[in-house]
Amino acid sequence: MLEPAVQDAKLGSLFWKRMENPQIPQPRPRNLVLLGCVLLVLLMLGAEGVRWSRSAHAAAQPSLAGALHRGPVTLTELSSTHIPAPHGMPSAHASSMTPLPGNRMLAFWWAGSRESGPDVKVYASTWANGAWSAPWMVASRESLGEALGFGVRRIGNPVAWTDRDGKIHLYVVATGLGGWAASRIAHIVSTDQGASFRVRRVLPTSPLFNTSALVRTSPLALSDGGWWLPVYFEIGNKYPMLMAFDAQGNPTSLARIGSSTSTLQPAIVAVSKTEVRALLRDDSEARRMQHAASNDGGASWHDLPALDLPNHNTSMAAIRLSSGQFLMLHNHAADDASARSVLRLSISDDMRSWRTVADIAKGKAGDEFSYPTLQQVGDELHVTYTWQRQAIAHHRYRIQAGGTI
Amino acid sequence: MNLPDLSLQILYGRLGWAVVLATLLCALWRRSAPMSRVALAAVMALSLAAMALPGELSPAWWLGLAFQYPSGLLVGCCLLRLAERWHGIRRSAVMPQALAGVLVVSGGLLYLDAVGILARGFYYAGFGQAAAPLFGIAAAIVCVLAIVRGHARGPAASLLGALALFALLRLPTGNLWDALIDPLLWAWAVAALLAAALRRSGRRAADRRLEPEPDPVATPALQPLAAEHFSSVKE
Repeated sequence: MLEPAVQDAKLGSLFWKRMENPQIPQPRPRNLVLLGCVLLVLLMLGAEGVRWSRSAHAAAQPSLAGALHRGPVTLTELSSTHIPAPHGMPSAHASSMTPLPGNRMLAFWWAGSRESGPDVKVYASTWANGAWSAPWMVASRESLGEALGFGVRRIGNPVAWTDRDGKIHLYVVATGLGGWAASRIAHIVSTDQGASFRVRRVLPTSPLFNTSALVRTSPLALSDGGWWLPVYFEIGNKYPMLMAFDAQGNPTSLARIGSSTSTLQPAIVAVSKTEVRALLRDDSEARRMQHAASNDGGASWHDLPALDLPNHNTSMAAIRLSSGQFLMLHNHAADDASARSVLRLSISDDMRSWRTVADIAKGKAGDEFSYPTLQQVGDELHVTYTWQRQAIAHHRYRIQAGGTI
Repeated sequence: MNLPDLSLQILYGRLGWAVVLATLLCALWRRSAPMSRVALAAVMALSLAAMALPGELSPAWWLGLAFQYPSGLLVGCCLLRLAERWHGIRRSAVMPQALAGVLVVSGGLLYLDAVGILARGFYYAGFGQAAAPLFGIAAAIVCVLAIVRGHARGPAASLLGALALFALLRLPTGNLWDALIDPLLWAWAVAALLAAALRRSGRRAADRRLEPEPDPVATPALQPLAAEHFSSVKE
């Protein structure tokens, strides 16, 4: 490194040489820098312009299932079983379902030696011809880590969606350094009906090293072929979010649901094309089912007063039936029961007042029937839930017009 | 929302963490002896080689597990610091107080929003299809003006690089915030402001020690000039 005085002397010498001989070219570094910077900004402007011209400018609205019939319905149980467990995996939890062509169903859940264990993996099984197939592994922390290029500490809840092209989109909770609060969401896609999956990306959800974003509840269809994925944050405070995807499975927006700091795992239901409701697991002392609404197709959300239903920090599932009524599967905490020992099916015409249809599962205090999922395929209602943390239970009902519920 | 391809993210993560790791290793070099260019090049080469290792052998595997990707601006600032070391500049101008102040305030608001204390959706705005790109272009133009006029050229170039990476490839995550700030850079900015505040208070204390004690006996020599009769003509 030259001393400043020496540098100045050298520059001065060069200056006098140029004065003596004007043929020596004089570089204009300032102009070159300016030219380079202007070119870079023009390139940036061009890239943004091309991207903007290709992007969709109108937010899609929720899609409403076509009404087969209006009015009361009857539910008749057709079958009740457990999905076959992977060999040597005593713990199972957090199921998700997505329909396949031909009235088939694909279920995903995680199984392993225990929750958060290093051997926990996401498994899948297909429902066809009245039976579940043998399970197969679709994601592990090793397979995700290898594809992402960085480590995954543990695997958690899967949430599945079938797009209009038949691709299966699976969102899997994959943690970074820490517990569930350090979770990220891996988006993996299958083009062969769940036989194999390719990692697409980790969804960006937070500026805090992209941590503390989880999934649990089912997506909701949008009118343009896209879908909404319910997401939630849980470091200290807990709050629900919604990530929108286009028909190709590319994320289009992310937004917070309401402003509460003690709710999570939103179950989203469209009441109309513009009115959407979110039923929320309550982590507060209130222990009531929390509730939020959007009146502009999901663009903005506001919190509503809690429903008159108990919720002792447990997850629920809700769908809009093709009859126009709303079904919810939730834990009912009665006096002689614990938070997750009764799993109740309730129905509503307006998402405000709910009446009990049946208790799908009921045990003694300490038993666990939790994390339910609902899926309507044709005139059948499929229900899965965690059975005693040991297996995934599956119930199937026929939905018929007329009746008392 | 336009997100980068996963393969690009993996490449960016490895290169970005290599630059950050090399900067950290250089920062640990003892201050009494300046780092030679050979040593600096060796540290950079080692860092790049380590990041290229497969799977768990690579530091990128563990850094990604904990922090996912460094922001573009953090990588830019680290590159600038390495360039300063290459040229033997010991007094760093990578994190001027104005930049540190903006990072601390905006990062503070962003993180309060992210943990749910605020509910303003600041982070979500970083995915915006119009506002975020327009803000990025406007900020890039300001950076160009600063570079051409010679104001804080280094930090302006770092910022311009981060904005260009976002505009051209949407790196690192597709969110403008992730291009401009991350918790590591925010901590660096907080540390820079604290260090500057400590230096200022230290200087003030030193100035107070150097101030001469007031003379208890008033002498004519210490009288104000206006009190003296002075004329070069009359006398």
